[in-house]
Amino acid sequence: MEQVLNVVFSTAFLAAVLRVSTPLILPALGGLISELGGVINIALEGIMLIAACAGVLVSVWTRSAGLGLLAGLALGTLTSLVLAFFHLNLKADLILAAIALNLLASGGTIFVVYLVTGDKSSTSRLVSGQMPFLRDIIPTIADLPTIGPILNQNILTYAAFVLTAAVAFFLYRTRPGVHLRAVGENPEAARSVGIDVRRMQYLALILSGALAALGGVYLSMGYVKFFARDMTGGRGFIALAAIYLGARHPLGVLVAALVFGAAEALAIQLGNLRVPTQLVQIIPYAATIIALVLYAIAQRQRVAARQRKFRQAA
Amino acid sequence: MMQTAAPIAFDREAARRAVLAERRRSALIDLGVTLSTIGVALLMGFVAVALLGKNPFVAYEALLTGPLTRLGRTGRWLELATNLILVGLGVSIAFRARQFSLGGQGQMVAGALIAALVAIYVPLPPVLGVVVPVAVAMAVGFLLGLLPGLMKAHLNANEIVSTLMLNAIVLRLYDYVLTYFLKPEGSSTTRSLPVQPTARLPTFTELLGVDLGRFNLGVVFVVLAVVGVWVLLERTPFGYTIRMIGANEQFARYGGINTRRTIALAFAAGGAVSALAGAHLLLGVHGRLFLDFVANIGWDGITVALLARNHPLVVPLSGLFYAYLLVGGDRVEQQAQVGSELVQVIQAVIVLLITAQVLGDWIRARRSRAIPSQEG
Repeated sequence: MEQVLNVVFSTAFLAAVLRVSTPLILPALGGLISELGGVINIALEGIMLIAACAGVLVSVWTRSAGLGLLAGLALGTLTSLVLAFFHLNLKADLILAAIALNLLASGGTIFVVYLVTGDKSSTSRLVSGQMPFLRDIIPTIADLPTIGPILNQNILTYAAFVLTAAVAFFLYRTRPGVHLRAVGENPEAARSVGIDVRRMQYLALILSGALAALGGVYLSMGYVKFFARDMTGGRGFIALAAIYLGARHPLGVLVAALVFGAAEALAIQLGNLRVPTQLVQIIPYAATIIALVLYAIAQRQRVAARQRKFRQAA
Repeated sequence: MMQTAAPIAFDREAARRAVLAERRRSALIDLGVTLSTIGVALLMGFVAVALLGKNPFVAYEALLTGPLTRLGRTGRWLELATNLILVGLGVSIAFRARQFSLGGQGQMVAGALIAALVAIYVPLPPVLGVVVPVAVAMAVGFLLGLLPGLMKAHLNANEIVSTLMLNAIVLRLYDYVLTYFLKPEGSSTTRSLPVQPTARLPTFTELLGVDLGRFNLGVVFVVLAVVGVWVLLERTPFGYTIRMIGANEQFARYGGINTRRTIALAFAAGGAVSALAGAHLLLGVHGRLFLDFVANIGWDGITVALLARNHPLVVPLSGLFYAYLLVGGDRVEQQAQVGSELVQVIQAVIVLLITAQVLGDWIRARRSRAIPSQEG
């Protein structure tokens, strides 16, 4: 137990939490926008995978991490555009179409990687670009005592925090953001006051795709420097859970993603302490289910309280 | 539909015939759309292979004739189809109630694990040796399905997230039990002991003396499950409530149906059937457990269910079709140096196109406009 506490209260652990939370925060923010727009994006997982793969391959090909990032972002966003087109124009079921895209991402990325490298498991033989860490921009930062390792994060980790604030601003302080939430709340009412529902839902899905794509690029070009088969490992789905645990608010979602990140970081650290890794790996998934139940119960009580108030008022 | 409302004197028999005819037409349209979707997806794969500089004719010859080129491959096709049909049936039950339970993978793994605990360590007489592990597996699958079902029905907790998380948990637990308890001392590979001889489902290779791979008597499960699920969905009050909820949940609730109970039980029933697939994989195909036992079969079951539009009598056809593509895909990889994932991509395109309601609706709308003029 003491060993565990030592682990949890170390700076290395804090740094690890930030590192592993990033690919949860970004897609969770994306998922939040889609959820508030009433078109929850289940394809986050696949979008991340496609962006991760495209980022690595393009950065290898062009020898530029920046172009890799752009390619990942572009392809991830394109994938969500396909989802939006199938759902909003071709009336496809949102969830089934997203499942199809996740399948496409899982098979398609390996198909392409196999063509390029002749290896089906990963691109580790290629030298991928990597997004810069803070150390690469401000070289002295890593030498700072204690906080150095914590501050020396990938710029996409910093982007995740900045984007949380940006998403909150967008959703609550801008016209399209408010319209987007109105559409998610009640599309008929939104339509009746002249809001273009389909356009807002396109926007919601595209933004969610772009954010998930950033998360994917971080995984393959920040967290590590290669693409591996199904490397997202369910993060796109844990991100969905973070939306509900975070009470559908950007700040809450950020905290929820950090909690899941902490659970994952703990699993990694405990794995070093000869605890069976399989059991430790269960922690984040079990935490997700518990969070889902707690959120659902809280939500029900909120509704019940509102109903009581309504009856008293009447 | 229009013409049944028009006559003033209401002819019950004619109305019934008209409804049935309309339903037949609708099913035919669905069939046509599905088949053309498959055609389009295969064509896109063909073009993709050509664009990648590989010979698409070689690749597609391997894909489309692969399972028939040798009896052993035919056996592999049928064995795989057995699994896919079982999972597909399991998935289709909850899908029919418009509940997106994605737990098939975990339910298969759990079913196989529990069946193995019985089949390896408990010596049982013939027949019971198979029946008991299968029953235990189905019971566990039922419970594993019930959990997200209850969460969805009573708390409205997102079933996609909960079932996926349960899959991940079950898979880790499986690895744990296999590595720390089932692996014999001193064994270098992570695998369990074989199941008791009485627990093995005999393969047709043994029974008929020709090489049909590991295609086995578990095919009986398929027949039983198809009939069972069909009766359950189409011929029982419970199935009727499932279909009602699938059509319109709110309407079902206002109609006095206990939607919560139905939803939870639909999840659970699906879990039991998916776990049966896991038991078949153990007792009929592999005979022992190892890491990555289920591979991707639980996921492919979702495609099989969707291709069949969740209809239990169509699931066997779509299962046979998809297993055929998978076995062909392995041949493609050997013959044309194109990854077998080509099949997964084709699968995804098929599912994506099938979900696009517009095409079928458009044909239906055209037809219903055309009909009155014929009769009028």
